[in-house]
Amino acid sequence: MTGRKSRAAFRRAVILSVAMVAVCPSRAHAAGAPIPHGTLELIAEKQWIAVGHPFNLALRFELEKDWHVYWVNPGDSGEPPRVTWDLPAGIKAGAIEWPAPRRLGTPTIVDYGYEDAVTLVIPMHADATFSSQSPVQIAANVKVLVCREMCIPGKAQVSLTLPVKSQPPPTNSQSTHFFTEARKAWPRPVPASWKFAIAQTSDSFVLTGNLGHKITDAIFFPLAESQVSNAAPQTLVPTATGFTLTLRKSDQLLKPIARLKGILVLSGEQPYSIDVPIGEPGGAAGAISSKQIRDQSIPESVSAQYNF
Amino acid sequence: MKRSTFYLMLSAIIPIAIILCAAPLLLGAVKVGDPAPTFTATASDGKTYKLADYRGKYVVLEWHNNGCPYVGKQYNSGNMQKLQKQWTNKDVVWFTILSSAPGKQGFVTASDENAYISKMQAAPTAALLDPSGEIGHLYDAKTSPQMVVIDPKGVVIYDGAIDDKPTTDLADVPGATNYVSLALEQSMAGKPVATPATRPYGCSVKYSDSSH
Repeated sequence: MTGRKSRAAFRRAVILSVAMVAVCPSRAHAAGAPIPHGTLELIAEKQWIAVGHPFNLALRFELEKDWHVYWVNPGDSGEPPRVTWDLPAGIKAGAIEWPAPRRLGTPTIVDYGYEDAVTLVIPMHADATFSSQSPVQIAANVKVLVCREMCIPGKAQVSLTLPVKSQPPPTNSQSTHFFTEARKAWPRPVPASWKFAIAQTSDSFVLTGNLGHKITDAIFFPLAESQVSNAAPQTLVPTATGFTLTLRKSDQLLKPIARLKGILVLSGEQPYSIDVPIGEPGGAAGAISSKQIRDQSIPESVSAQYNF
Repeated sequence: MKRSTFYLMLSAIIPIAIILCAAPLLLGAVKVGDPAPTFTATASDGKTYKLADYRGKYVVLEWHNNGCPYVGKQYNSGNMQKLQKQWTNKDVVWFTILSSAPGKQGFVTASDENAYISKMQAAPTAALLDPSGEIGHLYDAKTSPQMVVIDPKGVVIYDGAIDDKPTTDLADVPGATNYVSLALEQSMAGKPVATPATRPYGCSVKYSDSSH
């Protein structure tokens, strides 16, 4: 092929590709940045930032069927999405509000994460030094591991520009349903009348729940890694007023821990945050009411990291 | 479906289901301080290796999957090869273990693995082929790269992650604390291993039972 012919062929190929992209239907409109086997978008719950008021943003992950991303404790493999922010002066990002995850994986390797799609809400604060009158740009730099049978690390920068006004902002009709849906999957505080205790043996934690009614389905997701064996079956025994749930200790747990924190999901759908002190081995379980649990301040480093 | 066919299927499915459900119970996870379970394996060099033959030496086990980005981080940075050379020079036995099942990511034939070792200039004592996942399950290996260190008495002295930076970022290699080197250094100096167990990070090991 001569140089001129190959150049002409190249031009035709370019024209054809441009034409193909131009007619490509929804792709061109698809919002969000590409990540492996999915897209990521930064969305706002409200239409603008009101000076002096907190507001919510969210990272919306949409994945191809059966692909997943991870919870803050990813379980036996994987890692959670990590975000660093580019923010205007005076705006600060809070910690991610993690929805209750699902158990993923195999009989011997169990991970915690979200399949198909998830919305991670981040509360934002505009402090007194924030004084912009013109629209501001907010960007999130996200590192995320996307897995199905195999894992692919991805990076994306997603951003949005929000106007700043003094009056209260109306909700953003395009995105508000994602926030509503996300909130339904957030772990909620336990009712004041519920009581939890944890006793321990050399190889297990035994969580007892006294809720005033029989519980036949419960699953615990440990907030921290290396405390509870992820793949070991969780053995539930219903009682007249609640349940006991036996959790095998992780082989990586070499030092005693004082408390167990995590999400307790009842009947497959109702997630609750629990934070229960652990009794001495062989001793009485550390009994505590849920009111005490809620009143106890979680150490700052933990609450900052996990936003519980 | 005919009733007899249904019962035939059921009689086949139930034992399999029982075995699968019971698998995690049957598999005694290796605990630090326990004797290392013994095994015999064929390596990519065609030779047979028995763990028991290496009593009297330190042995490192490295779970490997060449398609896993966490493994890629260690090999593309040259870090794993550096560790292999550093420790085999000190008479440590280093086994790379390939537990991916046929058809799964990271499954390799002996010649694939030999080509990989030569291309990456890797320097393990041997790369053990474990397509049945037998050695992987024996050690309850969860991830690649998961690392196990066995002392000359045949006792597990470290089980877990390669280092303290659970990411796929090559930039995280230089600043990381390497738990394998620490365990070997401390044990060789006659000291107890300060960090004997950590969460092994990485890709799940692609056993034949892995549907995800």
